[in-house]
Amino acid sequence: MPTQKVATVKPVQIRGRFFTAVALHLSGPADRDFLAALDAKLHQTPLFFENAPLVIDLEHAQGLDGEREMVALASEMRSRRLSVFGIQNGSPAQVAAAAKAGLIALPGGRNVPLDRVTRTERPSANAAAAATTPEVEKEAAQPITRTITQPIRSGQTVFADRGDLIVLGPVSSGAEIIAAGNIHVYGRLRGRALAGVNGDTSARIFCHSLDAELLAIAGLYRTSENLGADIPREHVQVCLEGEKLRVLSLK
Amino acid sequence: MSKVIVVTSGKGGVGKTTSSAAISAGLAMRGHKTVVIDFDVGLRNLDMIMGCERRVVFDFINVIQGDAKLKQALIKDRRLENLFVLPTSQTRDKDALTKEGVKAVLDELREEFEYIICDSPAGIERGAHLAMYYADEAVVVTNPEVSSVRDSDRVLGLLNSKTYHAEKGGERSVKAQLLLTRFDPQRSANGEMMSVEDVLEILAIPLIGIIPESTTVLKASNLGMPVVMDDKSPAAKAYEDAVGRLVGEQIELRVNPAERRGFLQRLLGRTA
Repeated sequence: MPTQKVATVKPVQIRGRFFTAVALHLSGPADRDFLAALDAKLHQTPLFFENAPLVIDLEHAQGLDGEREMVALASEMRSRRLSVFGIQNGSPAQVAAAAKAGLIALPGGRNVPLDRVTRTERPSANAAAAATTPEVEKEAAQPITRTITQPIRSGQTVFADRGDLIVLGPVSSGAEIIAAGNIHVYGRLRGRALAGVNGDTSARIFCHSLDAELLAIAGLYRTSENLGADIPREHVQVCLEGEKLRVLSLK
Repeated sequence: MSKVIVVTSGKGGVGKTTSSAAISAGLAMRGHKTVVIDFDVGLRNLDMIMGCERRVVFDFINVIQGDAKLKQALIKDRRLENLFVLPTSQTRDKDALTKEGVKAVLDELREEFEYIICDSPAGIERGAHLAMYYADEAVVVTNPEVSSVRDSDRVLGLLNSKTYHAEKGGERSVKAQLLLTRFDPQRSANGEMMSVEDVLEILAIPLIGIIPESTTVLKASNLGMPVVMDDKSPAAKAYEDAVGRLVGEQIELRVNPAERRGFLQRLLGRTA
């Protein structure tokens, strides 16, 4: 079970990580013609795909759900120095076959919320993707507030990955504070503040004094340049109104 | 008990080496047995500021690598009997510094000296990191301008996280204090420079001194004399006061130490 091994080792800290992978769209059986076409493509740019993380998109290849075919496809890919590690848009049968071949099933597209966010609300759902479920996720369900009592200096990053972040002091320019939930700063906020990073659009940022380089809630951000000169600067909250980031006075 | 004090800033050219020389000389003048170590491997300057560059035989790196004994590398100052200099190598680079080697040298120095001043190189890489790693206290040298203040802020973050005391996680943390250098009261008043209040608001650490921008600083450096030994210089007086505060004395802070010019000078404006 090579895919599960990494996930079940409990590390001291768990961090979200974004990375880029190449998606290979399969539109039919993985036969000789397909492999010939693939070789031709690889031949054009031999170095570009070498050892690149690769995901096979099965949206248009619904017929391919046999375990043996999946194993064969994976080994054909690897023999071409393509680091295939997962599939996307697969049917439940394909997901099961891929798991046998050592490939994980990935939620497709960049706008899909993290799998684990939905699963904490509906623990019984997504049984088909259970092969990828790390056991530590259950513990991530309870929000944990992180409180920092010292000034946050330039270059420091503080991440409250499971809840709110409270800072009792200033946040310097060049510092970064990130929270899955709300952010409270009882001091001057000069750095970057990113609330609701797991997609929580109800998250807010509160601060005594606003001089931030960047404010973001659930991925929607504004930099100091386009915050506008007329926004309130003292005792403010930042929240989302639809698709718009608003800075409101608390007075 | 001996104290290891790192003089650091992040940004280059703000006056770390000048301040290290002045602070160590100031401590020696007060009768404390003091050694100042140059951590800027490859860019050896401290010995020149201290006026002992022609007496360097062995250096800090030789001692770390076991090629020389500490006693052989230490240079005794000719003017102050309590002052010693440990120069660095000009031919090696920062990779020659090791955590174990630095610790061994500092431990040996702690047995003999009251104050060990570590003159940090600019930047936040290996040399600067090892200079601050074993420090008990830090003097953060900052110029009243935004980039220097931001870099100092970054260094303060490192002092809180990447030092021996911080990593050990005990009650002790590196006590950081601010030394504002190259301060020009007039330009600050005109808004060309940041004010003392602005800098303190951002860095939020105690201030031990404000060194006025002064021509005597460069002159003293060129002569190989720590500024603090130049009686007539306003900068010398400011450094003396800063050293006093560093050892825990209560000395009133004069925000405007340069304002002691005569009537005629004031009429003629600044000469610098």
